[in-house]
Amino acid sequence: MLKSIIRKEILNNLLSYKFSIIIILSTILILVSIFVMYRDYCLALENYEILRRTKSDDPVVVIPPTPLGIFAKGLDENLCRSYEGGSGGRINASSKQKSLNNLFKLFTAPDLLYIIKVILSLCATLFAFDIVCGEKEIGTLRQSLSNSLKRPILIIGEWVGGFISFILPFFIAVLLGTIFVTLSPMVDMNAQNWEKLGLFLLISVLYLAVFFSLGLLISCLTHQSSSSLVVSLFVWTILVFLIPNLGNILARQLVRIPTVQQLELKREQIQIRRELEVYERLRTRTWPERREAHKRFNLENEMLGEDYRNRFNRLVKVSQNITRISPAAAFTFQATDIMGTGMLEERRLKRAVLKYMQFAGDWDDEKGNRPAFRYQRSSFREVLGQGGLSNCLILILFNVLFLAGAYVAFLRYDVR
Amino acid sequence: MLKTIIAREFLNNILNLRFMIGLVLCIIVTIACIMILAHDYQQELADYNRRVNLQDEFLSNYATRGRMFRMIPQQKPPERFRPLIIGISGNENSKSFDDNPLPILFPSLDFLFIVTIIMSLLAILFSYDAVTGERQRGTLRLVISNSISRTTILFGKFIGGTASLLIPFILALLVGVLYISINPVIQWDSSAWAEFGLLTAASITFITLFYLLGLMVSAFSKYSAISILNCLFLWVLLILVIPNVCPYISAQLRRVPSIRETQRQEEEIEQADNEVKRQRRKAVVSKFRGDYGGLFSKLESLGFGGILDDEIGDKEKVEELAAADPDFKAMVDAFRREIDRAWLESQGVRKDAIKKLWGDLNTKAAAQTRLAKNLACISPFANFVYVARDLTGTGLRSLEYFDRAKAEHYQRFWRHVYKKERDAKKNDPTFRENSSFLDLGDYPRFVFKEEALKDKLGEILPYWGILVLFNVVFFVAAFAGFMRYDVR
Repeated sequence: MLKSIIRKEILNNLLSYKFSIIIILSTILILVSIFVMYRDYCLALENYEILRRTKSDDPVVVIPPTPLGIFAKGLDENLCRSYEGGSGGRINASSKQKSLNNLFKLFTAPDLLYIIKVILSLCATLFAFDIVCGEKEIGTLRQSLSNSLKRPILIIGEWVGGFISFILPFFIAVLLGTIFVTLSPMVDMNAQNWEKLGLFLLISVLYLAVFFSLGLLISCLTHQSSSSLVVSLFVWTILVFLIPNLGNILARQLVRIPTVQQLELKREQIQIRRELEVYERLRTRTWPERREAHKRFNLENEMLGEDYRNRFNRLVKVSQNITRISPAAAFTFQATDIMGTGMLEERRLKRAVLKYMQFAGDWDDEKGNRPAFRYQRSSFREVLGQGGLSNCLILILFNVLFLAGAYVAFLRYDVR
Repeated sequence: MLKTIIAREFLNNILNLRFMIGLVLCIIVTIACIMILAHDYQQELADYNRRVNLQDEFLSNYATRGRMFRMIPQQKPPERFRPLIIGISGNENSKSFDDNPLPILFPSLDFLFIVTIIMSLLAILFSYDAVTGERQRGTLRLVISNSISRTTILFGKFIGGTASLLIPFILALLVGVLYISINPVIQWDSSAWAEFGLLTAASITFITLFYLLGLMVSAFSKYSAISILNCLFLWVLLILVIPNVCPYISAQLRRVPSIRETQRQEEEIEQADNEVKRQRRKAVVSKFRGDYGGLFSKLESLGFGGILDDEIGDKEKVEELAAADPDFKAMVDAFRREIDRAWLESQGVRKDAIKKLWGDLNTKAAAQTRLAKNLACISPFANFVYVARDLTGTGLRSLEYFDRAKAEHYQRFWRHVYKKERDAKKNDPTFRENSSFLDLGDYPRFVFKEEALKDKLGEILPYWGILVLFNVVFFVAAFAGFMRYDVR
């Protein structure tokens, strides 16, 4: 019986107008997104080559953009700036190439992550909002249940059939896009990247299942599809936009963090005081005395940076904890961490840069040329090892919660 | 009859579930948003004051010409509309190693979000079944069987529907206004309130546009289920897709040279120029060696008296010799003139080359931004964002305006510094330009004034015009669709 229901649901969906429009929309969007972001990746690679060729006496750190940024751009542009060690232990980042066009600041990157997070989640909700109440309205639900069909079988069949018909076209579109990307000579995907992309798609399915289950739950709680639609759309708006965006500014109220401008001003002051102290007041003193003064100012500078970074890490943590009540935020954190373009990678890279700059500062030129900076983005195992799947567990929890809710609501549903 | 249709449409809507949900959501989100952003504004104001104090403190303790340029006091205060709209940041933040990248992952929630996402979605939900719903229930047939023209019905639906849709928005806005007006930290003058009034009007234009979009789609559909899908399809394209894709498309169509590459070319120009300067100096020195012989050797032995290089050379000895020997003085003056001329010629060429290099980059970047901006105009979302941001001083125009104000102050500041230096030199002969402390207690403070409303209007009116045009097009299309609509 379960098979028949699944087949009926799939066929119903395949023949519906809703299916056609959602499939056309998602396929076009996914392909356009992958093409646009692929071109953006090519530009980022060109920029990387230019940054890499930069010759400087000071230590310079620059990492290449990841091809996975085509699918989830995240913070990749921030990560791929070049970092140059300056006087007094300061590290200067290069300008972002996109800073030339301020319009990028007004709008979001249309990568696959965005398409899944915002548009496909809406599609999933639209697919499921009338599964139960829609059938009730046209009278087929009453007829189905007048036979010896159990309600659990019916709801499971509806969920499985509906979700399969929704997710299969998504996979086909992503597959087409991935083939296009891998055939391109500019993209070099290694085994690690494939693993990460696979996990990303798996998490995406989990995320879309959350919204599908949510649609089903709302459908089981309402008796008219128009009401179900209104409620679904508002819940979707709250979960996808409201909580993540509001949570972020709410976290800023809880953890006070100075602006970057203030931090830079303080650094400039330390540097100026250093110049006055070491190069003017202590000019005639011995080198050990001046070195002590240098160390003092370096320490002050480091403490300033350390304090900022500690506060910032706390801010990220608070922000993550607040926004996690939204599956969209949990998905964003999880997906960008997996793809190596998230907060995890940002923190890791900055730690590596600081370590290298310290090493380069202590390097004795008599030993020969200073070794170049080497950096590998987090491996698949590292991502999983650093508690990286906690957001994934949240998505599973949402799924279970919404499905269980839908199940219970359907058991008590008045089909008349 | 029009009044009756408006009243019926209005009542129908406000008794509906979507009205209640919309009202609750609008009020809660607007109040939460304004309260949090007002608190954020307070913190930013405190941060701004701290920065200004840091600079004041620096200038009163360490102001020397060699260091002053690193601490020039031009801090931007938080925008006065910060409790409503979060402004876009300048590029100065992106060069810092320590920064806050969270807003890249989650754009902040503000008034723009409420209008562009929540209200536009609500508008579509209010209108998607305005025609199809009535047809499905059979009431449209009944109404049309009376002596009411279709035009009156459509107008009635538009006015009644829009009025009921705007109630949650206006109520939420009124509560927000009340909070802003009683908050002692937020000081809005009459021009700010006028801008707020215009912002509200622009928001209403944007919201009615989406109501009309829903009405138009409804007038072309037979079933509400199909109408809502088509509406949401268009909503996704107009709000979520087109504006976000346009900057990327323009980046492909109009390529901009790399910033780092331009910096490298600038360094090359500087190196080449240094070489030219060296050659020219060499030529001047050889010429003077030939012309003056022993007299010039005397100057050479004194390290050219610092004429070739400010730091090296016995200036005082040369001045002493020049005072004693008029021939030596004439030669030193001629040598200085020749060296200065060679330096200035080369400097001019270098400056022009660098200016051209960066000018080229900026022109191309501006062309790319312009293209992206124009491409995005096919989406009402982008037009509304331009209007709202430029009107409230939180957009691209405000960044340019701030840069201009900064440049003006920069000149005023340096004029003040030069005057102070001249006075200091008069009073103290040992005063050295680059390293002596300069008392700058009375330096001209940078006071950022918002751009005048009339100047902003010229920029925003075309985009507002496009929004009105969208309204007209959607209404005409809805009218055409409804005139041919089969009510059976």
